[in-house]
Amino acid sequence: MEIEEGNTSNTHRISKRTILFGVIPFIVIGAMIVLLLNSSGILFQSSIKPLPEISIEKVQFSDDNMIVAFVRNTGPSEITIAQADVNDRIYPAAVEPGRTLTRLADAKVIIPFVWNTGEPYEIGITTDDGTRFDKLVNSAAAAPRPTVGQASTFALIGTYVGIIPVMMGLVWYPFIRRLSANKYNFFLSLTAGLLVFLGIDALLESNEIAVDNLAPAFNAQILIIMVAIVTLITLLYVSQRLIQRASKRSKPDIEYKKGYSSHSEPDLGTRDMKSSTSFQQQLLIRPIAISMMISIGIGLHNFGEGLAIGAAVLLGEVALSSFLILGFTLHNTTEGLAIVAPMAKSRRIPVAKLMIMGLIAGGPTIMGAWIGGFLYSPIATVIFLSIGAGAIFQVVYSIGSWMYHTNGSRGLLNNHWIIIGFAFGMLIMYLTGLLV
Amino acid sequence: MSYPRIAVLFGIAFSIIIFAISTALYSRSSLSDQNSSKLDTFGGHTPGYPTLQTTGDVLDPTSLVINPKTAVVDPMKYLREFNYGKLSASSNGTVIRDFTMIASDQQTKEVSPGVFYNVWTFNGTVPGPTLRATEGDTIRITLINNGSKFHSIHFHGIHPSEMDGVFEGIAPGGKFTYQFTAEPFGVFPYHCHMQPLEEHITHGLYGALIIDPKKPRASADEMVMLMNGYDTDFDTENNFYTVNGIPYYYMHHPIQIDKNRLIRIYLLNMLEFDPLNNFHLHANMFNFYKTGTKLIPDEYTDIVTMNQAERGILEFSYKYPGKYMFHAHKTEFAEKGWTGLFLVKEGTNQSINENLNVTSIRNITNYSTTDFNKTTDLVPTGGVN
Repeated sequence: MEIEEGNTSNTHRISKRTILFGVIPFIVIGAMIVLLLNSSGILFQSSIKPLPEISIEKVQFSDDNMIVAFVRNTGPSEITIAQADVNDRIYPAAVEPGRTLTRLADAKVIIPFVWNTGEPYEIGITTDDGTRFDKLVNSAAAAPRPTVGQASTFALIGTYVGIIPVMMGLVWYPFIRRLSANKYNFFLSLTAGLLVFLGIDALLESNEIAVDNLAPAFNAQILIIMVAIVTLITLLYVSQRLIQRASKRSKPDIEYKKGYSSHSEPDLGTRDMKSSTSFQQQLLIRPIAISMMISIGIGLHNFGEGLAIGAAVLLGEVALSSFLILGFTLHNTTEGLAIVAPMAKSRRIPVAKLMIMGLIAGGPTIMGAWIGGFLYSPIATVIFLSIGAGAIFQVVYSIGSWMYHTNGSRGLLNNHWIIIGFAFGMLIMYLTGLLV
Repeated sequence: MSYPRIAVLFGIAFSIIIFAISTALYSRSSLSDQNSSKLDTFGGHTPGYPTLQTTGDVLDPTSLVINPKTAVVDPMKYLREFNYGKLSASSNGTVIRDFTMIASDQQTKEVSPGVFYNVWTFNGTVPGPTLRATEGDTIRITLINNGSKFHSIHFHGIHPSEMDGVFEGIAPGGKFTYQFTAEPFGVFPYHCHMQPLEEHITHGLYGALIIDPKKPRASADEMVMLMNGYDTDFDTENNFYTVNGIPYYYMHHPIQIDKNRLIRIYLLNMLEFDPLNNFHLHANMFNFYKTGTKLIPDEYTDIVTMNQAERGILEFSYKYPGKYMFHAHKTEFAEKGWTGLFLVKEGTNQSINENLNVTSIRNITNYSTTDFNKTTDLVPTGGVN
């Protein structure tokens, strides 16, 4: 503070002394790093070797009698793999690229083994100090190979689970357009309810993956929250910028329904809006922007969902059944509803534009299934699920603030349609989720 | 309208990210395909199992030979090495056998290829040396504790209370001489009896004592087999099971024996944690002398099951040449290292075994004492008081 005060006269020039103060901490830190790294063993001597840690991130079974474990050194120091076992029985194996792993390096342990479909297997890896790490696979299934046939199967699953339900939801567009203001609020808050459920679901799922498949070294649980928050605030910023730019450029192309403009306008003075005209413009542009953001958010979410479905098939955790697909389809139909709901009171949206939104929301499921099924990576899955969660919470915020502004003096929690809609939205998700 | 543009931009950005991530993941998973300079073959020991080639490292205790410099024991040497002690005679004519045992507990040795474990040892190996005497001899064993903890030697057999190695531990740097008369004849384990007993035994402080009857047993190709295990991750479950210290050792180093030659195995079980262990011989039957305390076999069988510290003598000979397996018929143990092979050869009357195999006490003095005293070299540091 003293330095700043001293420099107030020449506001933008920084004195040498100030620079010195800015640099000193870095010099001290640098000196500490040099000292600690060079004198390790002198300053802080430890006779105890740090405990090794290995994460078996995934186990693949292949038809040619092979089990492949993907392992990563998640411990504090270099480790050497000494042995592999299946169900606690030692088997000959190979480790590629080599048995010694530096910190966070990974390797493939290949075990020739005649395995049986559907049976559980515990894969163990022993390090050179005799510590054994294991991973249980509940039901062995041959890993999908990246063939055209398998890729089209995943594409078909993605279409069923992602694109078709979202498109089905979009069909409700004309129906929602004809709703009264209260029922419209009901559907908007229903959407918010659906999305909150999806967001929480994504967070819980990524947490589960983080706990089961990722080593504590990744701090994956904090990563989830971090990624979700950063996504949320980034998207909030992006959407604000989009709305501002769009409202500057375009003329109002939305019919402004009287039904709720009368509620909102008298209240403008009390809101922190700069002028009534800009707010009016925002009102006009916002529904489509919100819908677009919802599509993007749901797209990110569905990408994560696709990853999870592909990975579940890869890891033999689920056998794909028609019932499962049907469950996902019903579950995701509500996502299409979420996209169209905010646009209900705007001018008629061209079908092509609706289709684009539907593809943005549903298409990533296919991509996710491919990546999850062929190149499963738990850390990528966790990150994408968290991004999806953050995106969804941004959408919920957008819907909330939209309803707040259009709902006038009544506020959000004063309207029973909103409360019922929100609760009903979550309930729908819960019930359809039981099918999955 | 700017929204389709946003959508397109979003699509492009998203695709780029996905492409980058998939490329990174894919290139990583196919890393090994790019480097094919060095190829090792592995697998394929078992019918129906594929034999594969790898550019990486092979992990296979059933075929990889442990580095003799870091190995916890040389199982081939241990197999037929009997230590008869330094001989002298007392005033009344009794044979006195002097042995020196050095306990240590700070060495880390290779117990299975690539696996290093802090073993506690008598004379630097697990199992400790096989001591051998004749019924009625006076046995004097000087224990030098070169370790960091109290240790002792508790012998099974008949001896006075103060020679039992239970109530008086030998302090680090300390020394004690156990003295007793070798009786009765049979096979006896010895082990450290300090608390916690489990810890001292599972780390490797045990071995075999053989007391021969005054009238020697019939001439035979004799060997010691001590069954043990290692709990290398301290979860009170064994990670490795062995006979004579190193898992699968006799799979890649089959024990060579002659057809129709009498084989005598002194078998002991010192396995910790697991309540029982056993020995099963393939394609043959053996006479089993429980505890080795009788000259008449107790059983004619192909499997014998033992609790910890139980032991006995097996006698058999092979009728046909070839490879024969022997292993624990607790298959878990067998598949975690307790498996070996006999290689039965068409008999030559003067086989190498004939020279090594010493059943008579008359001509062994030079051979055993010199060899035995070398064991002090195994202890790296001085400080023996």
